[in-house]
Amino acid sequence: MKPMLSTELNTPDAVVDKAKIEVKNLNFYYGQSKALKDISLSLPERSVTAFIGPSGCGKSTLLRVFNRIYELYPKQTADGQVLLDGQNILDRSQDLNLLRTKIGMVFQKPTPFPMSIYENIAFGVRLYEKLSKAEMDGRVEQALKRAALWTEVKDKLNASGLSLSGGQQQRLCIARTVAVKPEVILLDEPASALDPLSTAKIEELIDELQADYTIVIVTHNMQQAARVSRQTAFMYLGELIEFDRTEKIFTSPREKRTQDYITGRFG
Amino acid sequence: MTIVSEATPSSDSMRSRDATVRRFALTDTVFRESTRFSAILVLLILGGVAISLFAGSWEALSKFGFSFLTTESWNPVTENFGALSPIYGTIVTSGIAILIAVPIGIGIAVFLTELCPRPLRRPIGIAVELLAGIPSIIYGIWGLFVFAPFLQTTIQPFIINLFHDVPGLSSLFAGPPYGIGLLTSSLILAIMVLPFITSITKDVFDTVPAVLKESAYGIGCTTWEVTRRVVIPYTRVGIMGGVMLGLGRALGETMAVTFVIGNAHRISASLFAPATTISATIANEFTEADGSLYTSSLVALGLILFVITFIILAIARYMLMRIDARTGA
Repeated sequence: MKPMLSTELNTPDAVVDKAKIEVKNLNFYYGQSKALKDISLSLPERSVTAFIGPSGCGKSTLLRVFNRIYELYPKQTADGQVLLDGQNILDRSQDLNLLRTKIGMVFQKPTPFPMSIYENIAFGVRLYEKLSKAEMDGRVEQALKRAALWTEVKDKLNASGLSLSGGQQQRLCIARTVAVKPEVILLDEPASALDPLSTAKIEELIDELQADYTIVIVTHNMQQAARVSRQTAFMYLGELIEFDRTEKIFTSPREKRTQDYITGRFG
Repeated sequence: MTIVSEATPSSDSMRSRDATVRRFALTDTVFRESTRFSAILVLLILGGVAISLFAGSWEALSKFGFSFLTTESWNPVTENFGALSPIYGTIVTSGIAILIAVPIGIGIAVFLTELCPRPLRRPIGIAVELLAGIPSIIYGIWGLFVFAPFLQTTIQPFIINLFHDVPGLSSLFAGPPYGIGLLTSSLILAIMVLPFITSITKDVFDTVPAVLKESAYGIGCTTWEVTRRVVIPYTRVGIMGGVMLGLGRALGETMAVTFVIGNAHRISASLFAPATTISATIANEFTEADGSLYTSSLVALGLILFVITFIILAIARYMLMRIDARTGA
């Protein structure tokens, strides 16, 4: 049975909030090969949406369309529409740097910049805002507190970002993303390289951040998706198979393939 | 008992295994010793060069003492030798060459790794590497017959006129436009070291993890900001290595410099004036050096070049250690 992919069907019933990101008939190509096939879905504001699915299903690709980071590579192209607050971000006239300050991204592996902890955060802020030293100190402290890292690093802000442990580095990357005050945060398997304790901290953090930000998380870990997200999208071979409230996806999925995947029968 | 005898290998296969182990031990020892010998050989050669330079220059050094380093005059007739002007020429030409080549080299590397359209990438990369393959004698004749006359008739008169009443700059760019001289040598050297700096910088830029660049672009950085604040800091050790390699080449370059520097043993403030470098002096004067003091003075120049190179490498190491200690990387 072919899944129905109209916009109305792909809006979770119980979610009535305003859509922050709306994807309409999105196709994505790596050179000749089509990686996303006619995706349409709508992500509500100030909530966590999870993308799940087996490797190569296109969930990270979809995430990378939202801040157009894929454009760093010449042979990757997208067509269709992605509306951020009603504005099509795939439009040529969209300023990329501005878009990326609105849509922050955290990657699978921690990527602290080769500079001090303080500078890792101040760097991004300084690009777009002129702050006094005191204001910047405040902003750095606030971002580190949001990322639950402040107490661990407040005495060594001038140490290199690379000197932190893996879990701390990842929280530093989240702090860095939060500091530029984005509207949307994209998380590409943010905890897959971390131990269970650090993972728990990151999940707690995601839970707190959704009060202020629209969060999209790609994860291989289905318990994680169930724990942190309000709605979940299941993708398979470049298609969006099912998109609904998380409880619904994990308890009574509409599609057989979704059920097979979440019960571990394939993938 | 039967079980034990089945589990124990027969004495035949035991013997062959012993033999194999012994053979492995032998080849392993041969391998270890030969690598050790190669490593020690480097030290021996380096030591041998240092000792023979020192022995060869002993006569000049004991006659002139420390003043050999501080005397400008170089007079084969009165046998009065001082190394100051070749030292000055060597350091100034190499320094200016690096100042010119480093920004251009890094610029080319950034263009090739970040901005260049894919079809252009290989042709430009290969062209830059071909620059390194041009023999220095060709740079020399090109410098003397094409580049120096061009400078003499166009650029140099223009600059002299432009700066002739600016204090400071007027003495830096003074005198008749000879064409050949300090600045011409520096420019030729800059062209010669450019491919080294470019190709090493390009290689180390390629080692920056894509995801690190993506995160920087992801918070809204422009290509310039990503390069300046992420790519270059991440690769600074490699870039420094490339610069040092280029500097080493510039300090020791003989043929091309000999053609275009003018070979004059004097120090003048003007960059347009003829001068000389250590290697150019040695190459020019070795055949006509009569008298052991003259020869010994030339060997002493070689020793000084050896020491300068060593000091510059040591400074580079020290700087890298300080940078690493500061960032805790």
